[in-house]
Amino acid sequence: MRATDNQGSFLNRISIRRNQVVSMDGNHEQELEDLELFQKHVADRFSDLLSSTSDDDSVLSIAWLRKLLDTFLCCEAEFKAVLLMGRDPSQISKPPLDRLVPEFLDRVVKALDVCNAAAHGVESVRHYQKLAEIVVAAFEQKPIGDGQVRRAKKALNSLMLTLEDKEGSTHKSAERTWSFGRRGAPSNKDRSTAGNFRSLSWTMSKGWSAAKQIQAMSANLVAPRGGESSGLALPVYIMSTIMVFVMWALVAAIPCQERNGLLTHFPVPRQLGWAQSMIVLQDRIAEEWKKKKEKNKLAGLLEETQRLERLGLSLIEFSDSFQFPGEAERLEEVAAQVSELSETCKKMEEGLVPLQQQIREVFHRVVRSRTEVLGVLDQGGKMSAPTM
Amino acid sequence: MGDFSSVLHLCEGDQHVIAATQHLVKALGSSKILNDDLRKILSQLDSHLSSMNILTTESRGPGFREVEEQFRCSEEKIMGWESRQSFIWDCGPLEASQYLKSVHDIQTLIEGFRSLSANEDRKHKELLNRAESILQIAMSKLEEELIHILVEHKQYFEPKYMSFRSWRRDVLYDESFVSVEDIPFEEESQRNFCGSESEEYILDLVDPHVIPHLKSIADIMFASNYHQEFCQAFTNSRRDALEEYLIILKVEKLSIEDVLKMQWDSLSSKIKNWVRAMKIIIRYLASEKRLCDQISGDFGFVSPLCFVDISKVSLLPLLSFGEAIAMETHGPEKLFCLLDMYEVVADNLLYIDTLFSEEAGAWVRIEFHELHRGLADTARATFMAFGNAIAANGSTIPFPKGAIHPLTKYVMNYISTLTIYCNALNVLLKDHDTADSNPPENGQGSSSLTYGHLACHLRSITSTLEFNLDCKSKLYKDAALQHIFLMNNFHYMVKKVKGSEHRNLFGDDWIRKHIVKFQQHATSYQRATWSLVLSLLRDDGCAGSSSASKATLNEKCRGFCIAFEEVYKNQTGWSIPDSQLREDLQISTSQKVVQAYRNFTGRNSSSIGEKYIKYTADDLQNYILDFFDGSPRSLQNSRWKEPAWF
Repeated sequence: MRATDNQGSFLNRISIRRNQVVSMDGNHEQELEDLELFQKHVADRFSDLLSSTSDDDSVLSIAWLRKLLDTFLCCEAEFKAVLLMGRDPSQISKPPLDRLVPEFLDRVVKALDVCNAAAHGVESVRHYQKLAEIVVAAFEQKPIGDGQVRRAKKALNSLMLTLEDKEGSTHKSAERTWSFGRRGAPSNKDRSTAGNFRSLSWTMSKGWSAAKQIQAMSANLVAPRGGESSGLALPVYIMSTIMVFVMWALVAAIPCQERNGLLTHFPVPRQLGWAQSMIVLQDRIAEEWKKKKEKNKLAGLLEETQRLERLGLSLIEFSDSFQFPGEAERLEEVAAQVSELSETCKKMEEGLVPLQQQIREVFHRVVRSRTEVLGVLDQGGKMSAPTM
Repeated sequence: MGDFSSVLHLCEGDQHVIAATQHLVKALGSSKILNDDLRKILSQLDSHLSSMNILTTESRGPGFREVEEQFRCSEEKIMGWESRQSFIWDCGPLEASQYLKSVHDIQTLIEGFRSLSANEDRKHKELLNRAESILQIAMSKLEEELIHILVEHKQYFEPKYMSFRSWRRDVLYDESFVSVEDIPFEEESQRNFCGSESEEYILDLVDPHVIPHLKSIADIMFASNYHQEFCQAFTNSRRDALEEYLIILKVEKLSIEDVLKMQWDSLSSKIKNWVRAMKIIIRYLASEKRLCDQISGDFGFVSPLCFVDISKVSLLPLLSFGEAIAMETHGPEKLFCLLDMYEVVADNLLYIDTLFSEEAGAWVRIEFHELHRGLADTARATFMAFGNAIAANGSTIPFPKGAIHPLTKYVMNYISTLTIYCNALNVLLKDHDTADSNPPENGQGSSSLTYGHLACHLRSITSTLEFNLDCKSKLYKDAALQHIFLMNNFHYMVKKVKGSEHRNLFGDDWIRKHIVKFQQHATSYQRATWSLVLSLLRDDGCAGSSSASKATLNEKCRGFCIAFEEVYKNQTGWSIPDSQLREDLQISTSQKVVQAYRNFTGRNSSSIGEKYIKYTADDLQNYILDFFDGSPRSLQNSRWKEPAWF
């Protein structure tokens, strides 16, 4: 809520100032000040995001992603104020904005599809969570015996399969026999238990690719130069960059349809003040992505998912070598891992649905802004002389 | 269960107490006044006590051997199924109940052992381990059975039986100025669904005879603390079923970008399909919810959670398509599609709220409300834009023959199509016209309809149209044709309103006023055309019999004939498409003109030369019948070339 308060007072200031200045001529200076302020706020917000990774939440944890989306919503509101509030509509239908604004809106539409894909992807992550919860339930029963181990391992295998499954390897997993099957049982019976359900496969149209979408969004993203850099072209560029960054981070974190070839880098001029923290974050995420990609583990960089993966592998190892009643030392180790797993599940339980809701909030907000901008463009197109 | 264990620990070793308790429990259990819950608890307590009774004895004692024997029996039963290819429930109810009994026994045994966790006896521990292992195998098997039953016995319904709120009519609207005729009501639904709350609204998505099977699997898996596995398997299977059904309903997964780029033709058919799918899916979801309740309703919050998990993802493509449509601004002809979409969401909004009333369903509720708002805004904006479009429809050349302008036809047909959506539009516009002094609402009587929001807007639309027509009429150089044009168009408006269900929306007052209007134009036409012509026949008070006046009379008569011919040449080319209106105007014109001519010729018959009386009064009367036919004729020609014409 803190962010929203900030934003409220900022909007008021802009509107009051605009109202005062409109009657006089030469509001150029005020406008420069607004732009200055916008850049400063963007810089502050992203530096907050960056610093929050050092203490409690690591980059691409659920909590951090939620902060990221909050940041997006704040920047977006402020951007809209800068672009539209109290402004003469004809101003944004003049060059270079007559080109930049439609380009921006085009990016917005692409972002909407990314939001949809990500909201759907969160559902897959919830599926991981449910499987992990079974593992926790099995191992929390004492004493741990063969029954518990088998129960946990069944869930773990499904979990590992689903995690692997998330990079377009659906066919592979269907053929693959699952290491801990029901001995002697026909493989078609395993279909269900492998956690390989069609309904959690992709939601977008055939051929839709999150990676391509991000690529297209960043394709014509060019920092304004010369005279343009002090005008409204700048906030349009800043907001576009934020949008590309946020959507890119979502795609990297959450399983989305077709992420092969996801960009690891999109150009943000290093000399721009507001972009500094974003560049650091981008580098960090890109680094992670490359690492994961080498290992061919692409269930998503979401911190919690990665934790499930790591703990899951270790617990599978334990399960494979388990012999009743098990060594006390090893059991203690497992207990610690299980409590970490349980902790992670709790975080997911608390955070995933709100994250999904927030992604939808971003979606709806962006839709509304688009409508507003289109409305102003329409007005601007019709009007030849300014009317205030 | 936890409650018992502490008690049981105290009793541990005290066989007498256990025996006595068991006796009491049995006695209580046979009582007829117990409710089911209590009976269940007692029976659980009983089995608990039996296992205690045995287990408290030495592991080498005869009691333990008995337990082992029983366990082996159950184990055999369960493991026996592991080597078989078939499914238990496919093999009949007896097999199923025996299997369940074995699982139940194992479970009781485990509970008994667990409550004796203090016992460090190695044999006990090993037996518990084996029992847990067997239980896990059984649970795995039951999970498969569950999925198998759900898949084998799922039922889909022909979409035609699924559409419950039958579509009043299929609104077709064309971009071109084409009249829209009502298509006869197409009652799609064969059954009579009275409303969303009725039982008939809900269908069996799974063959009802397997519900008890599913329920028994649920019960035993929950009792064994394998509820997570149960929910996973159940949710995933049902979600797959829903996904399949969406494919049957042809719900496509389209990206927003695709939808925005789509041509209207393909889009409109997709919209129709969306509306249909949405209606069906809501009904499907209600049925799904009941299924969840039937199977896991006893386990508290589980059922709503499963229900939401099943539905959520599948709704995304439907929601996304709706959002994409709501994002665009549309031309007036697309309003009807938008209203169809709006209506299906608005009509079901409350129902969605009830279906997803639990916390877990908040997401779905919010999404539907957002979609509702989006579609409402777009539909309203499109409706408002209609008025502007009418105002902006300018012409540079006069419309030929003074006939009914396509714009008039378009607007009036549009309005009559609009009134199908009367309720939806009243709600939409009500939200918009907040500043209005609130007129009486919800009334079905004609008076309240007349003051409804839609009615006000419709009247304002017709005013805009009238204003536009007025401008268009100015393009005619001939004042008389201006009036014919306006008369025609106003008459058309009145006719359209009078002969339709929506006359109440306009009200009798409007109709009266507009009848007066076109009648005034008829009168003005006569004045504009005939005043001058008939003034030629006036006597001017020179009714003498001098030669001068005779010449004047001859001249007047000749002048009149020429003028009449001129009018004839002009006005046969004009058009009054409505035959009744045309006849009325011809008759009243006849009365005026023929009468004046007859009077003139009668009065002056002696003074006017034969050759100056070119036409008889009857001739004129017949000629006037050629007027407003839309095909220009010339009298000179018709007189000489077609003498036998009459």
